[in-house]
Amino acid sequence: MKYITMVNNQEYVIEIDHDDTIVVNGERYAIDFHSLPDGGVVSLLLNNRSYEAVVDERDETWEVLVRGELYSVTVQDERAYRLAKARGVETAVHGDVIIKSPMPGIIIAAPAAEGDVVQKGDKIIILESMKMENELRAPRDGVVARVQVKPGDSVEKDQVLAVIAEPQESDE
Amino acid sequence: MRNNGLLTKKFDKLLIANRGEIAMRILRAAHELGLDTVAVYSDADRYAPHVRYAKEAYHIGPSPARESYLVIDKLLDVAKKSGAEAIHPGYGFLAERAEFAQACVDAGIVFVGPSADAIRTMGDKQRARETVMAANVPVVPGVAPGTDEELVAAGNEIGFPLLVKATAGGGGKGMRPVYAATELPDAIAAARREAQAAFGDGTVYLEKMIVEGRHIEIQLMADSHGNTIYLGERECSLQRRHQKLIEESPSFVVDEDLRRRMGAVAVAAAQAVNYVNAGTIEFLVDKDKHFYFLEMNTRLQVEHPVTELVTGVDIVQEMLRVARGRKLRITQEEVKMKGWAIECRINAEDPYNNYMPSTGTITTSRLPTGPGVRVDTGVFPGYEVTPYYDSMISKLICFGETRGEAALRMRRALAEYRIMGVKTNIPFHQHMMDSHRFLTGQFDTKFVEERFSMSDREVMDELEAAILATLAAHQRGQQASQIVAPGMRDTSNWKYLGRWERLRR
Repeated sequence: MKYITMVNNQEYVIEIDHDDTIVVNGERYAIDFHSLPDGGVVSLLLNNRSYEAVVDERDETWEVLVRGELYSVTVQDERAYRLAKARGVETAVHGDVIIKSPMPGIIIAAPAAEGDVVQKGDKIIILESMKMENELRAPRDGVVARVQVKPGDSVEKDQVLAVIAEPQESDE
Repeated sequence: MRNNGLLTKKFDKLLIANRGEIAMRILRAAHELGLDTVAVYSDADRYAPHVRYAKEAYHIGPSPARESYLVIDKLLDVAKKSGAEAIHPGYGFLAERAEFAQACVDAGIVFVGPSADAIRTMGDKQRARETVMAANVPVVPGVAPGTDEELVAAGNEIGFPLLVKATAGGGGKGMRPVYAATELPDAIAAARREAQAAFGDGTVYLEKMIVEGRHIEIQLMADSHGNTIYLGERECSLQRRHQKLIEESPSFVVDEDLRRRMGAVAVAAAQAVNYVNAGTIEFLVDKDKHFYFLEMNTRLQVEHPVTELVTGVDIVQEMLRVARGRKLRITQEEVKMKGWAIECRINAEDPYNNYMPSTGTITTSRLPTGPGVRVDTGVFPGYEVTPYYDSMISKLICFGETRGEAALRMRRALAEYRIMGVKTNIPFHQHMMDSHRFLTGQFDTKFVEERFSMSDREVMDELEAAILATLAAHQRGQQASQIVAPGMRDTSNWKYLGRWERLRR
């Protein structure tokens, strides 16, 4: 079976046809893979190199913890991948970036106003939670399309706070 | 025995007015001393380890701390109901509230800490400054509280950079650095707002900022018989927004002579308020090794374990003994520092996303172990990291004969630690343990914010992560396809699925 696996925007084509070998981007590896009956712990011997990891599936992505680092990995089999491609899901990267509240809290300030041109890393919302002021910053360059909260508002987890639209083309 | 609003007497039953890892730490010390213990818990903490570990536990209200862990009457009520004769406040919550210490004493309950007077004096930063200055303790040049206009004018006089600080502040709340005159009015307003929200008091003052300063603190221990000793220093310069992240003892820059001088000054500062029990004097040390009093923390510190590992003194046990009216078990001459200890605070926050706090349910918690490794934690699989309490998951402390050995051991332990369900700052600590600047001890309090970046961290195991996820997904798919083929198995598919899911946990 062939899988297309994405991690950190890197694509890997992984073929699993045998119990003891896999092919990754055309290269064959000897594997011995086991799930332990303990909190998602897995043990992999990859060409006899030993990896212990914790894997957990949530919201259609696999979270993999290896040597302290957490990786978010999406795995699609070839059929699902082709279907998604055909439906255009892959290319439907929406122009707007939505800034959601990562946790419940109180809005301390909203330094960016609607219409502001912002750069990646600019402060958009300051949220107080867990006894700290947390700065929510623009994930990329753009224009602030909407700010849906004002200072003093209580917000819930995942509540939409602001929307950043694609940067406008400048007149050449 | 009562003096200065301090009550010390023998007790056999201790109430711990706290939660999380510090409640566990105190419970352990109390059980080692043969004391009976009483835990308290909010709605969110019924399953917490401190509740399960204590001899008795009492519910004290809803999850928000101001309706449970911060309600003095509820705690005194539990003490009365359970027959607890003493209360240990831990850190945070009510630990530095003078009215709590006073209320305990008024109710005939031993408060495991200093007198209400000492907490009050040291808790007000302006009064603390004046008090220690009278005892010849060096302080950072600064300006007393005033109106916004007075502060702005005075700020221009002492020059920039400077710090706006809340008199009631602590832990970096209500504190703002200011680098230019134009930023000062906004910084004063922000600090006042934060201090008002956190402490109910928006009074702020100004202090000159020591550049390239290191945050080094002295651990003190004093009994009610007039003995005050210092247990060496802790290096706490690795901070982000004034929240300590990594602490160690001893400090790279403190030699025997500087330690003795800082220790003597710290003892003098404590004696100026007739201090009893464990306390910490925080100093700022500049690059010429001049040191200045910052503040006194009149409680047990988060980072106390590094001192315990290098001095061999169990600080929490010693606190309980002192509160029972006993003398300190060791003299200053007997305090010997041996080896090196480093502590990493493991927080539920994402180091790759501006250290944003991460909430959720911890699904896996497998602690590192082996020689020289200590983990103080209050979380477990199934524990929910909520916005009600702070984001610290645990403290990972490693000991070595030398600093290098402790750092290498920390690297090993960090790689062994498995926490899933929330993002943690373990990669931050790993990156720090790999950094040349950390390993050579070249850092100050601004290092993390200004000269340390996660973006140059190499991705190590991306290919392996891809393979692991794919194999797990493949295995899941195989299981599912077995389930949809009926009649192939001698038991029902539902039963099989249930069994399989249970095995996966």
